Amino acid sequence: MKRGPMNRGATGRESTGLRTGRAARAGQYVALLAYLVFLAFPFVWLISTAFKPARELGSLHPTWIPEHPTLDNFRQAFDEQPLLQAAANSLIAAVSAALIAVVIATPMAYVMARHRGRLASAATGWVVVSQAFPFVLVIIPLFLVLKNLHLINTLAGLVLVYVVWSLPFALWMLAGYVRAVPAELEEAAAVDGAGRVRTLVSVVAPLLAPGLVATALFAFITAWNEFFFALVLLKTPKEQTLPVVLTHFLGAEGVADLGPLAAAAFLATLPSLVLFAFIQRRITGGMAAGAVKH
Amino acid sequence: MRAALRRAATAAVLALLLTGCSGGDGDGRDADGTIRLRFQSLAWQKESVDANKQLVKEWNAAHPEVRVEYVQGSWDSVHDQLLTSFEGGEAPDIIHDASDDLADFAYGGYLADLRPYLPARLRADIPERSWRTTTFGEGVHGVPFLQEPRVLIANTKLLKASGARIPTPERPWSWKEFRQVTKKLSGQGRYGVAWPLKEPVSVTLNLGLSGGGQLFHRDGDGKAVLRFEPGDGVVSGTIHDQVNTDRSAARSALGMGGSDALPGFFGGKYAMLPLGFSYRQQIIQQAPEGFDWTVLPMPTGAGGAVQGVSPQTLSVAEESPHKKEAVAFIDFLLRPANMVRLARGDWMLPTGTEALADPSLRSAEHGWAVGTALAEGLRSAPAQSVRGYPEWKDKVATPAYQEFYSGAIDADELRERLVEDGNRVLARYQR
Repeated sequence: MKRGPMNRGATGRESTGLRTGRAARAGQYVALLAYLVFLAFPFVWLISTAFKPARELGSLHPTWIPEHPTLDNFRQAFDEQPLLQAAANSLIAAVSAALIAVVIATPMAYVMARHRGRLASAATGWVVVSQAFPFVLVIIPLFLVLKNLHLINTLAGLVLVYVVWSLPFALWMLAGYVRAVPAELEEAAAVDGAGRVRTLVSVVAPLLAPGLVATALFAFITAWNEFFFALVLLKTPKEQTLPVVLTHFLGAEGVADLGPLAAAAFLATLPSLVLFAFIQRRITGGMAAGAVKH
Repeated sequence: MRAALRRAATAAVLALLLTGCSGGDGDGRDADGTIRLRFQSLAWQKESVDANKQLVKEWNAAHPEVRVEYVQGSWDSVHDQLLTSFEGGEAPDIIHDASDDLADFAYGGYLADLRPYLPARLRADIPERSWRTTTFGEGVHGVPFLQEPRVLIANTKLLKASGARIPTPERPWSWKEFRQVTKKLSGQGRYGVAWPLKEPVSVTLNLGLSGGGQLFHRDGDGKAVLRFEPGDGVVSGTIHDQVNTDRSAARSALGMGGSDALPGFFGGKYAMLPLGFSYRQQIIQQAPEGFDWTVLPMPTGAGGAVQGVSPQTLSVAEESPHKKEAVAFIDFLLRPANMVRLARGDWMLPTGTEALADPSLRSAEHGWAVGTALAEGLRSAPAQSVRGYPEWKDKVATPAYQEFYSGAIDADELRERLVEDGNRVLARYQR
């Protein structure tokens, strides 16, 4: 059969569409690659700096891979600052803040998601508004409140602040996960004779697990990286957290002890990276599961 | 099994929380009458931290009735941290800072006037010109103890090859001569000088004194007022012309900090760098094997061999219940021998006359002798006690100087912005 003009046209459109599709896909990959490079560049540079001797740091033509890799910067960092103590403090503050925030936020998020009423709307509005307050606006009143509670220079005080600070977003996040759990499941459980608590514990909580993990991770990383509250609230070296101790490698006028700073900063990023590496599949899997209606 | 795990997890969380709790602060005195003082130090280089900690240890060994606790602060965040501590009534007793950061705290009543407590020895050991850097109104609100002049760090090989006269503290270059030397040193991808002017205002104002500039004046009723006189244009004009006319100063270095310019210096791209005296330590650490460098005095003009500086200071919080003991500790820390240890640790100059005479600070090695010879000409940085200076610096002067040095505006516009816009800012603070 001879191909008519129409067929030719259709084939032409197909091949053009195919070409366009391929070009678009290639463009997407290039954009993705550029984004990955953009994200990875600072971290790779940080690692490279951490292993470079001082002389290489002063080179006019810096290399990606250290020519004479050394652990001296790590030794110096540990020698000069109490990094282990600071890391332990950060860990205590971040783990405690994450767990407490999740424990408090879970029932609140459930109420916000399931019981629509004026109170829930007002609470949601307040959560949004509270995100607009900058640190500097609240720091001095907060300092005075904690002082009256004798919580200045204690990790408990810092944990309290972190919980309060991360709670609005944790609530917001968890409420979204609760909404994704079909209410029919709860109704079915009720029909089967399960009480409210049993339904929450046995039906809702397991489905919320990815959300709980994601929220805890968010609260953990917020607390782990937080600098300003820790700077202001903690006074003695034995209480200080990692971000505060990292600034001790900085001198006046922006001069930095670059090698040890990079070594310490690299170590400080490891817990977040490790956590993400272990948990990310679970989070994304859970999010996808919640997003599809069967 | 699951219940046991749950109980263990709960116990672990509680334990974590409880380990975070500790007792609150008292009134700075233990039950047995021991006085406890907190000393917040900003020392950050290893030698300096070690020297400070060692001195605290020595004090505590000799004074069991007044125990000092060393607290590490950071230059990067000291202002915000002190501000909130003062507002919240939790400031350290003894505070390490720099004189240009003290004005707001001193005028705000947060720092004690030290005059009733300062021992005669310490008062006499530090020259009056240094005390002026920490005098706000009538009161003395800090003890200036370390300072650094700006010096020229030069590539010895390139400088010698150029045939230029090598300047000394007794016979420095004039600004005009400096411009000629940098022209001679330029070419073949090399610049005679790189001005790392990330903070253009303090550098310009401090060096401007040597050109006879002052910029800030006091009018009849004691109010600060900005006036741009011919001397104020010497240093800024030299930098501008080196960058834009002679091309003997690297344009790309204008936005750099001192550390950022070092690789270019080591790589032979820049023949000279104007840097703070303490940068020598970084140069020693990072310079390639066999790299020969030397310390030269900055050029001078009609104002003579003078520079503005903002020394490091030790102050006492007004709220401290033990000011006398705090000043006694400062006096111990700043005994001549101790001041030398602190100065060497920070690669800076001590303000104390006796410490400055120490032979270890007069050696030619690493340019110490050049620095100590310049100490006589170090003055209080212009305007550091003027209220409204930080706003003028951030909102008016920094962008104006940056634009001027990059060639975006000319000298007339620079003058107009610094003075007219500047006086409007100052007027708001001096009503």
